[in-house]
Amino acid sequence: MTLPEGSGPLAGVKILDLSWIVAGPTVGRVMADYGATVIRVESPTRIDTARVVGPFHGDVAGVEHSGLYGNVNAGKWGLTLDLRVPEAQGIFRRLSVWADIVCESFTAGVLARWQLDYQHLHQLKPDLIMLSSTLLGQNGPYNQVSGFGSQGAGMAGIQDLAGWPDRPPAGPFGPYTDYPAPRFALTALLAALDHRNRTGQGVFIDQAQAEGTLQLLAPALIDYKNGGSLLERRGNDDPQMCPHGVYPCQLPAGRTESWVAIAVATDAQWRSLAELTEADASWSLEQRRARQPQIDAALSAWTSTRSAAEVEEKLQSAGISAHRLSTTEDAANDPQLAHRNHFRRLPHALHGETIIEGPRYIHSATPITTARPAPQYGEHNEQILKEVLGLDDADIIALAASGALS
Amino acid sequence: MLSPYRVLDLTDERGVLAGQMLADLGADVIQIEPPDGSSGRGVAPFFAERPDESIYWAAYTRGKRGITCDLETERGRELLLRLLETADFLIESADVGRMTELQLDFETLRERFPQLIYTSISAFGQTGPKARYVGSDLAIWAAGTPLLMTGDDDRAPVRVSQPQAWGHAAGDAAGGSMLALHARHQSGRGQHVDVSAQVSAAQATLGQVLAHQLGAVEPERYGGGIKIRGQAIRGTADVADGYIVLLMGPGPAVGHFANHAVQWLVDIGAVEPALLEENFVTYADRVASGQADAALFPRLQETMREQVATRTKQEMLEISIAYDLLLVPVLTIADLSVSPQLEQRGFWRELEHADGRQVTYPGPPLNIVVDGEPFGYSHRPPPALGQHNAEIYGELGLTDAEIAQLRSEGVI
Repeated sequence: MTLPEGSGPLAGVKILDLSWIVAGPTVGRVMADYGATVIRVESPTRIDTARVVGPFHGDVAGVEHSGLYGNVNAGKWGLTLDLRVPEAQGIFRRLSVWADIVCESFTAGVLARWQLDYQHLHQLKPDLIMLSSTLLGQNGPYNQVSGFGSQGAGMAGIQDLAGWPDRPPAGPFGPYTDYPAPRFALTALLAALDHRNRTGQGVFIDQAQAEGTLQLLAPALIDYKNGGSLLERRGNDDPQMCPHGVYPCQLPAGRTESWVAIAVATDAQWRSLAELTEADASWSLEQRRARQPQIDAALSAWTSTRSAAEVEEKLQSAGISAHRLSTTEDAANDPQLAHRNHFRRLPHALHGETIIEGPRYIHSATPITTARPAPQYGEHNEQILKEVLGLDDADIIALAASGALS
Repeated sequence: MLSPYRVLDLTDERGVLAGQMLADLGADVIQIEPPDGSSGRGVAPFFAERPDESIYWAAYTRGKRGITCDLETERGRELLLRLLETADFLIESADVGRMTELQLDFETLRERFPQLIYTSISAFGQTGPKARYVGSDLAIWAAGTPLLMTGDDDRAPVRVSQPQAWGHAAGDAAGGSMLALHARHQSGRGQHVDVSAQVSAAQATLGQVLAHQLGAVEPERYGGGIKIRGQAIRGTADVADGYIVLLMGPGPAVGHFANHAVQWLVDIGAVEPALLEENFVTYADRVASGQADAALFPRLQETMREQVATRTKQEMLEISIAYDLLLVPVLTIADLSVSPQLEQRGFWRELEHADGRQVTYPGPPLNIVVDGEPFGYSHRPPPALGQHNAEIYGELGLTDAEIAQLRSEGVI
């Protein structure tokens, strides 16, 4: 007994996804895209934050309107369980025996109190693969710190590095630790699955989401830790490129701002740019860095009289890295993203149609289709309880009466 | 876990983390560089005591073996083909079209190596109108949309000072390669995995990249905070020795943290105990219906800012843990280098470089237990240029004389 199987490289792989918001659910989304059967378990009382932050369908807030929730949960089956209720814990135990992989992101220690942590679950299923993913990891003096990826960005050092030297940190955008973390978790889970299939051995993965972001800061960490210099935020400055920055462009109708990013990495690129903008083509990187304010001012004057699209095309044609700072409307009209079929429309029971991102890679032999939009609250409760666990109507009524489902 | 598999890593500074992620999980990853070294060896920062040695390159080649091979030469390409007989994965990040010129592209190799998983990392993807665009960290961040969302609203958008875009793409290359491995288990065949850093960067938008198409408003940048329809909440607050993340708000998702903050403020005598009667989970609804004071929450925020301003990051972290506040320090690289949390997690590891120097590295970001035992991460330092030439070409069956010949011809 099980739910209808997906198609793709992970067809037949069963995942119990108890994680929430972005870092964890993103992993299950990918696995569902590639054919895994993913049951997303949600608390009926503690609302998933992804459901209450936008972007919302039609700009109207609502727990079934969130494009973010839809983007990270598409392709999954939805079940509500209040794990504080013993009957719900029993259902969860049975589902974890059904599953190949359990993903969770409770504060460290919470599942242990319900005897639903890896130590307990692997006794029921020795070859279980389990991911426990929190901001700072399962152990350590600060493992109880509460927070979302926005707090993670502070704790991972990345927030201190986004912004201007004369001001408080000005970024990064959103819960940054949620972005690298799923890549590390997915890769490790797929390695664990491969290992289990060969050896029959179970695997437990303790992820500190902040440590994933630290991998992307590794050069700065190694530098300082070994007695070198301390990296601090420096705007858009780059020690090996000049000019390197964001420059204002002519405003298209209806916009209040328009920018282009330009990064000149080599002397040859500078000569091409100098030719276009009538600057001194002979300057080396060192000489350009010494004249950075005047170069930036002249370049800004040149870009200001042109549209961002024109600057992008002119500079790219000359072999210089440049791109307009895309708005989300620009992204919707980006011919490159369209070429990759990056935005995908799915029929949706409430909205008629919804839109999600495609996967972050194109596989030449195993193209994917997302089978269904993200589940509404408890959308598949009955189907999961009947088809996966074999409950009948009377069992489900009794379960509901216990408060396990709502 | 990945010990049965071999990866030939042809990446330069663009995507060099991908192979390391697989190496950390146990794969035999061989970094292949031109005889005069990868362009990645020229990327800042550099070791203070060895100004010719790139920390960037060392950071992302830790855990790999390293050889040189001149793919511009026929002899070098032959060597690569012999290595491919032993490999499961090839990862490359050359300019789009370059591998085709070298006749080392996926289409050319697939017949001879039908099981090969061939992963390409590029700024915009292998095909399409922008495939030949020149990529860079800044341009990719711009094209993926997070750049416009980041920064102060009265200045130009701003990036992270340690470049990020290729790291995100590398993470996707590792995951995409593993998906292809599972596909190979099913079909017996390898395939091409085409990673676009632009698409990878779009993940760093919290789904906002979809805003326009969903009919939602364009996101606006407001420091590390939030700005929606002109309503702005600053993301950080000043403390005595730096900043903390303070995104306090009412509402169902975070209101209970505001209630906890009231408890702390009452305990230190900063607000009247009567404020404990207020419930910030339901506050917004009650403001809307006229049952609660709209000025109350802004006053609470102001009081919080005044109280945290005289305390240190460390004091506020301890208070945050004790009271369960949604509040953490903005740690600097210097703070992280002495973090007790990272220390206790065994995050750092000392690796001995080929020249005998002990260098401290961040370890992998996952603590893994396999069949009840801690997973044995490799402690292999980053390879010096061509360090494993004799070892790896020897494994291929080349004699010392043949290796010496290749060396004298400049192929390796």
